[in-house]
Amino acid sequence: MVWNQPDAKVIVYDPQLCTGCRYCEVACAVWHCGRIDVNKSRIRILFDEKSATERYSAVNCQHCDDPICCAVCPSEALQKDERTGWVTSNSSKCVGCEMCIVACPLAVPFFDAELKVAVKCDFCDGAPECVKHCSSGALRVCAREEAVRFNERLFLGAKEAQ
Amino acid sequence: MAELGVEIVGTPEEANVLLVTGGANLKSRRELERAYAVIAEPGIVVAVGSCAATMGIFKGGYAMTGPIDAIIPVDLYVMGCPPRPQVIMNALADTLHLTVEGIETLLHTPQGFRGDPHVDQGKCIGCGACANVCPAAAIEIVESEATRLVRFMRKDCIFCATCQDVCPSKAVELHSGDKPWFRRKDASTSEARLERRTCVACGTPFLPDAQLNWAMSRVDEKLELGAGDRGKLQRSLNICMKCRRNSISEVREAKSILASLARKASG
Repeated sequence: MVWNQPDAKVIVYDPQLCTGCRYCEVACAVWHCGRIDVNKSRIRILFDEKSATERYSAVNCQHCDDPICCAVCPSEALQKDERTGWVTSNSSKCVGCEMCIVACPLAVPFFDAELKVAVKCDFCDGAPECVKHCSSGALRVCAREEAVRFNERLFLGAKEAQ
Repeated sequence: MAELGVEIVGTPEEANVLLVTGGANLKSRRELERAYAVIAEPGIVVAVGSCAATMGIFKGGYAMTGPIDAIIPVDLYVMGCPPRPQVIMNALADTLHLTVEGIETLLHTPQGFRGDPHVDQGKCIGCGACANVCPAAAIEIVESEATRLVRFMRKDCIFCATCQDVCPSKAVELHSGDKPWFRRKDASTSEARLERRTCVACGTPFLPDAQLNWAMSRVDEKLELGAGDRGKLQRSLNICMKCRRNSISEVREAKSILASLARKASG
C-alpha cells in the first residue's frame, strides 16, 4: 500500500536556517525521558564548522510514505498511522532485533540500552517539542506535499527535480 | 514414585538422595551443610531447578552465597524454572538406573515439551533479539574483529522459549526430545558464528552480513522500489550506523534516497 495524504503534517529541517544550538535535542530528550541527555534524543544535529557549503545537517525521521523500517520490522512494532501518517514504535511489541536501525538509510531509530528496544521520533502526539523549541525556525511543521517539494529541491537538486 | 522405589523421608539421616531447590543464602547455607554432613550412603545431591544450579534471577543478590555446588558437591543438575515433575523423575531414573516395567509410559514426556535451545547456524542472522529478550541472560553475544558469535548457554536456560518466539528468521528451536539434566555443569552450548560486514566509509566491521541481507530481502518482499533507489539503499546497508549518523555527506545521501521515494509516492 502506498500511503498518500497530502494534508498530513511532517517536520522539515532547513540547514540554511539552523544555528546548531541543539535545543531541539535537549527538548526531545526532556519530553521523552524527563532528563537532559542528548544521547536519548530522537533528533540529532550534526555540524562541521570547516565546511564552506554544508555546515549543519539533521538526522530526523521523515515519516516516509512507505516506511522501510515498517517493512523490515518482524514483530509489527513499527506502524504508520493511517490517519495522521506518523511512523511510531510500540515498545511493548518491539523485540530489539535492531532491524529498523539497520534498514533505515538515515539510521533514525536507535537502540535504547535501558529499555532494550528500538526507539524513534513519534511526533510528540502532534506538537513536536523540537519544533517548539527551535529558536531559528530551521525546524518547522508543514503539510506533507510542501515537505516533499522542499526536500526534493534540497536533496535531489534542480536537475533531478524537473 | 513408589513404583520406582522412591520414597520421601522426614530427616536427612534417613535419606540417600538430597534434592535441593533454590540457591544458598547466608541462612540456608548452614542448614545445607548440616544436612549434607548427616545424609545416609551414597549421599547423592541433586540440584533441582535453575536457582539451585546457577542462582537464576537471584544472581548477585546481597544475601546469596552462591549456587549450591559452591557449598557442597553436586552429582546431578535438573534444569528448568521450575523443572517439570516428569523431568525430575526422569532425571533420577536415568541417573540412578531405576528400571521397572512400563517406565516409559509412566515417565512419558508430554507433547510439545520444551528442551534445550538449538540455534541453526544456517538460519541465524545474528541480530541479537534473543539475547535482548532472554529473562535468564542465557544468551550472550560475543563480538570479535571479523565475526559475531551468538551463544546459548544451556546451564542458564529456563526453557521459556521467548527466544524462539521473537527470532525474526526462525533460527532458534527448543527441541522437545532433549534431556534437560546433566552430571557436570559444563559449558553445554549451542552457537552460531556470523561474518561481520566492513563499513565502506570507515573500514571497521559492524553488523553480520546475514542481518543486512535479511533486511534487504525483507525490503524487496514488502516494498516496490525502482532499480535506482534499490541500488542506493543496497549501498547504504554497507555503511555502519556511526557513519550514517555522524557524517554530513552520508546524511545527505540518505535523505536524497528518502526524498526520491517520497516523490514517487506522492506522484
